[in-house]
Amino acid sequence: MNHNNKKKKSKNEQQEFDFCEVCRLNHNNGRRHNFFPSHKNALSSLLARFQSKLSDVKFFLKTPMLTLPEHAHQNRLWCVFCNCDVPELDSQFAWSVISSNAVGHLASEEHWKRVKEFMWKYGGGMDRVDLFRIAEADYAKWEKKCKSLKGEAAKTQSVGTLNDIHNKHNTEFANSSCNNNFDVLNSCIPNYVVPLHSYTNERAPLPSSVLSSSVSETGPSLHNIPGGSHVQDANYLKNSTGYVDNQHFPNSLARECSLYGDASNGSVYSGVRAGISEVSPGLVNLTHISSTSKVALEGNVHTGAPPPWLDGTKGDNLDPAWKPESRNPVSSIEGKSKLNPKRVGAAWAERRKVELEMERRGERVNNNFDANWLPNFGRVWQSGTRKESRKQFQIENDAIREQDNHLEALMPIQPYISKRMRKDATHDTVNKS
Amino acid sequence: MEYLLPTLRKKQEVDSLIRDTLDKVLVLRFGLSSDAVCLQLDDVLYKSAKDVSKFATVALADAAAEEIQVYLKYFDITYVPSIVFFFNAHHMKMDSGSADHTKWVGTFHKKQDFVDVVEAIYRAAMKGKLIVNCPLPPERIPKFQLLYKDV
Repeated sequence: MNHNNKKKKSKNEQQEFDFCEVCRLNHNNGRRHNFFPSHKNALSSLLARFQSKLSDVKFFLKTPMLTLPEHAHQNRLWCVFCNCDVPELDSQFAWSVISSNAVGHLASEEHWKRVKEFMWKYGGGMDRVDLFRIAEADYAKWEKKCKSLKGEAAKTQSVGTLNDIHNKHNTEFANSSCNNNFDVLNSCIPNYVVPLHSYTNERAPLPSSVLSSSVSETGPSLHNIPGGSHVQDANYLKNSTGYVDNQHFPNSLARECSLYGDASNGSVYSGVRAGISEVSPGLVNLTHISSTSKVALEGNVHTGAPPPWLDGTKGDNLDPAWKPESRNPVSSIEGKSKLNPKRVGAAWAERRKVELEMERRGERVNNNFDANWLPNFGRVWQSGTRKESRKQFQIENDAIREQDNHLEALMPIQPYISKRMRKDATHDTVNKS
Repeated sequence: MEYLLPTLRKKQEVDSLIRDTLDKVLVLRFGLSSDAVCLQLDDVLYKSAKDVSKFATVALADAAAEEIQVYLKYFDITYVPSIVFFFNAHHMKMDSGSADHTKWVGTFHKKQDFVDVVEAIYRAAMKGKLIVNCPLPPERIPKFQLLYKDV
């Protein structure tokens, strides 16, 4: 017995620990692992999922289409063989071909090599390698189609037809390309987006009263940023805010001046004054909001006041007696895996799920909650046990459903009076009467 | 950016969103639609919203709306944009090196930074912790000066 165990042990120990990408597991079973049923299942599901994504890409391989960059960034593909993300960042043109980067990646030599390695290592079957790549002939055909498509787009510039394509296929596909073949750094940012290059800690200091006189000081520090998109951004800001100023204003300054312009035009928002905050080296310039009413008196998160989303001023209350019964249906309703019961707000989540379920079923229309929904057990100044005060609270709740909050007067919260005081009081009243 | 991410202007909308987002982090940005920093942050949020959609919901609250002022007061929001995190109607705090743990002030340098922050919040919340340390290195955390009563 011992001899056998030792043999088995030594056999396992000889194998080093290896990481299986498919099962995401460290194991020391060596090559045997590929034949385990769990591995086979994981591998087949992984390949099936990737295959479905590939089929989308291959659709575009046959019929290339164009799309706007703003929708392009939603299309990305994670190549499981190369373990890389393939986004659609090819925004050199206003219109870019859908999943062009993905097609490029799938057709590349390195990808093919990696697919073969993957299949060899994880036992996927070497005959299936060609399913996961794009052959060169197909790629060449696709390229030709793309060129003609782009040529047409450039010639006609008819927004109508392109819009149709764009409307049909804008957000549906999970395609992307690896950046192996395309230089991301050179891709320009589309000129309708306002990137804030200068928005880092390295910004030069600015005085709080920002006027055009301080332009010259901050100018040099921001010239390192690529000028192309820069000027466009300034233009964009200028156009959007209607602030007439130098075209060569650095990003930040244009922003600040526009803020200043807004503020000087009079406050547009009730109760909010947008001003410019003090900036010192290494700090970021943020818009400062100051509310006109007094903050400290009403309590906030720092002082431990009740959160505004948990006290409502309209609608029905929660019946506190209803809470314990809600526990049972939850476990029967949910068939999914159990979430950690110790997670933050677990009790709230369970309760709310049941509530929503009931609302959906139409049993209970309960959108808003009264301020009194939190049962008030803490009537420490009352005599009697907690149950009594709870009963009293429930009675009040029923009454409040009919009336307004006037019934609070029924049970005024009284300060604690000791027995002696009470005795003395009664003696006094007796004596007086 | 209002047309891309849900923008809330009423207290009741914010309330119901906080209460109804269950087992997912709620990322609530308080900002102004005219501010350039807010716009940049909104851009980051919009682009990352899909990536974190399985464990987080992103929403924008207009700091200029009247009904939202309650929240600005409650969270003591003086700088915009500010992001407040919730999980199962509980307010999640993050220690990012500044004195104020209750919110995230400023924007993110990269989308990945935002995703990292939300992931840290989610992991902590699933373990039952109400406060978490910021996973970003200090140089990527936007710094701001805390003013006390406009001093």
